[in-house]
Amino acid sequence: MWTWKALKQREDGLLRPSAFRRGVVSSRASSLQLSNAKEFISLHRGAINSLEIDSTEGEGRYLLSAASDGTVAVFDTHRPTSSSTSSCASIAQHHPLFHLPRAHKFAISRALWYPVDTGLFITASFDHYVKLWDTNSTQVVLDYKLPAKVYGIAMSSIATSHSLIATATADVQVRLCDLASGAFAHTLSGHRDGVMSLEWSSSTEFVLITGGCDGAIRFWDIRRPGTFLLLDQSLSQLGTRPPLLPTPTPSNNESTSLPASSKSSSSTPILPAQKRRSHKKIQLKPPTQSSHPGMASSQNRATAHYGAVNGLRATADGFYLLSSGSDSRLRLWDIESGRNTLVNYEAMSIQTSKPIQLAVTPDSSLVFVPCLASLKAYDLWSGTTINTYRGHYESVNCCFFNAQYQELYTGSNDRQILVWSPSIPAATQIVYLYILGIP
Amino acid sequence: MAESSQSKSGGKKRPRSESEGDPDADADAASLQSIQLENDLNFTDTAIALQMMKAQFPKLDKVVVRPFILRSQLYSSVKDRTQVDRDLESLKKEAVVRVFKLNTGKDDHAIMFMDDYLAQMENAVKRYDAKDKQLSDVFDWFKQYVIKSKTDVSISHPELCSLLSNGGDVTEKHVTLLINAGLLTRQLIDQNLYWFVIPNIGSILKGLSQGRKELLSLINRTKYKEMVLANLEKKRLRLSPLDIRFHIRDLIGSGLLKTVQSPIGLLIRLSRD
Repeated sequence: MWTWKALKQREDGLLRPSAFRRGVVSSRASSLQLSNAKEFISLHRGAINSLEIDSTEGEGRYLLSAASDGTVAVFDTHRPTSSSTSSCASIAQHHPLFHLPRAHKFAISRALWYPVDTGLFITASFDHYVKLWDTNSTQVVLDYKLPAKVYGIAMSSIATSHSLIATATADVQVRLCDLASGAFAHTLSGHRDGVMSLEWSSSTEFVLITGGCDGAIRFWDIRRPGTFLLLDQSLSQLGTRPPLLPTPTPSNNESTSLPASSKSSSSTPILPAQKRRSHKKIQLKPPTQSSHPGMASSQNRATAHYGAVNGLRATADGFYLLSSGSDSRLRLWDIESGRNTLVNYEAMSIQTSKPIQLAVTPDSSLVFVPCLASLKAYDLWSGTTINTYRGHYESVNCCFFNAQYQELYTGSNDRQILVWSPSIPAATQIVYLYILGIP
Repeated sequence: MAESSQSKSGGKKRPRSESEGDPDADADAASLQSIQLENDLNFTDTAIALQMMKAQFPKLDKVVVRPFILRSQLYSSVKDRTQVDRDLESLKKEAVVRVFKLNTGKDDHAIMFMDDYLAQMENAVKRYDAKDKQLSDVFDWFKQYVIKSKTDVSISHPELCSLLSNGGDVTEKHVTLLINAGLLTRQLIDQNLYWFVIPNIGSILKGLSQGRKELLSLINRTKYKEMVLANLEKKRLRLSPLDIRFHIRDLIGSGLLKTVQSPIGLLIRLSRD
């Protein structure tokens, strides 16, 4: 068996411990099955819209779930509350540590832990409110009223100089709420329709990525106004990035790839000079908004998807961005060059009305996508389907990959939270946990 | 990838690496039927797949349309979809093929070879006699300036005007003429953006969507929602002028049907999800 041989090699020094650990983790992540040892008893009476595990250092233990009946619950994923004993097997049952029955008036679209510790959590709902809760007393500490229903919120986990909550609403403006002062910091406008999904960059604390119902994905630097990058699905790179120095014969696509950094260059097409006639060419109307270098023009209508962008996820290293759209495509973008890498994720059908939550493994090998009533795992780089997880009765809305245990939690419209754990025989399970350092 | 699929099914799939002689042989209508779709389902390369499928495009009696291939058909023929996308992108940049977005269904694209598209455009322009002879110069400008430089599926109004004005003074009437001739269509979501379209293709697109529905309902009516490919091929679709192989490839590529190996042969099954 692979592990025993690899264990011997590790002892002999032929295989490095970190490589061994990586191999164990990735083999566990690709062999997930519906768990027969663990289950969450969910008391929600509505579709589960959001699942999140806290990201405190070294210990991701508490699962926060939010449902469309306005309830919030927190589960402990390490310690079961009881176990159902039957004749052959005992399943560890996890009851919620607390369950708030009337957290919001309408459906909650997203619930997040405060990135620093589990003392606070934030919920956003269709009743136009974003509320900040104290976990120990389960009371609202702060709330923000927004002009339209809130589809998503995000807080940067690497931020040290700001504590801003970015909110995506059905209104065209993205608002940043400041935790420290309790007021709105500023608004980012540029989308032409509601904003459905958003994500902070995992490499810089000042860059926010938003995906709108108009199909555009915009990158904002919150220190200055305006978008600095708009992803266009027609601009692509074939695997590797284009060379840094410009080639002597520029291709036609290069002219449209840079955002309108200078007003004069945006209207000249690339054509041989001898074809010009004597009469003057039609000039483009000058943009009504003044643009400064590095800012994308507000006239830029590039779309990343042919429908709404309903899921965004950046890889842990911050180089690539995954976006899912209601045109049932999942696209992988190279963030640095802003181009579509043209990786084709095999046929999937994504629900169009709600934002969904994608999950990526931390070593960027697998991406988990909710596709109607099942969940599909794709290889990130080649786009082949690795696995399809069928267990829910209705559409899956959200999924979260617990990197510490290599477990996947999914929530769906059928009000259940299902656990998918690696299907390894029991004897080697103990060895694995010992190797990974979990007591 | 394709080699493993060939070895998996034993001796059933003929190697498709030499394709020079085959398109001429396949263009013969009689021999089209004799080659089983089962042997013909997978190709090793995008360019070869495009050539083969162009040769197998059904002959339509009522409308004259040059052969086009749907993107989902390419996905069903070549194993690695990412490679198909990348090959298509480089073929587009070299102006060997042109890709159009169709309005049937979610993500349909049609691929046509450049010379076929130009011939189709000539036919359409000839058939559409412009009242004002001065305005008909715009067709030459379109062919020379817009098609050659813009390889995307859509174009914005300012860019269209600036590219056309390389030929002469452009007014709104010129753009109206292009739309009336069937070479451009407005986008529904944005008034300033146009899709490139294949002219005179409307009746075929209607046949495409109706044929898809008919084929799916045909398989849906069977007891176990599956049918042997050899039997399915022999059927004729009532509502679509395109032949059944076209639709089978298209539906397999978009994921609504899937192929299953069985002792009898290849089965086509409705995929549930």
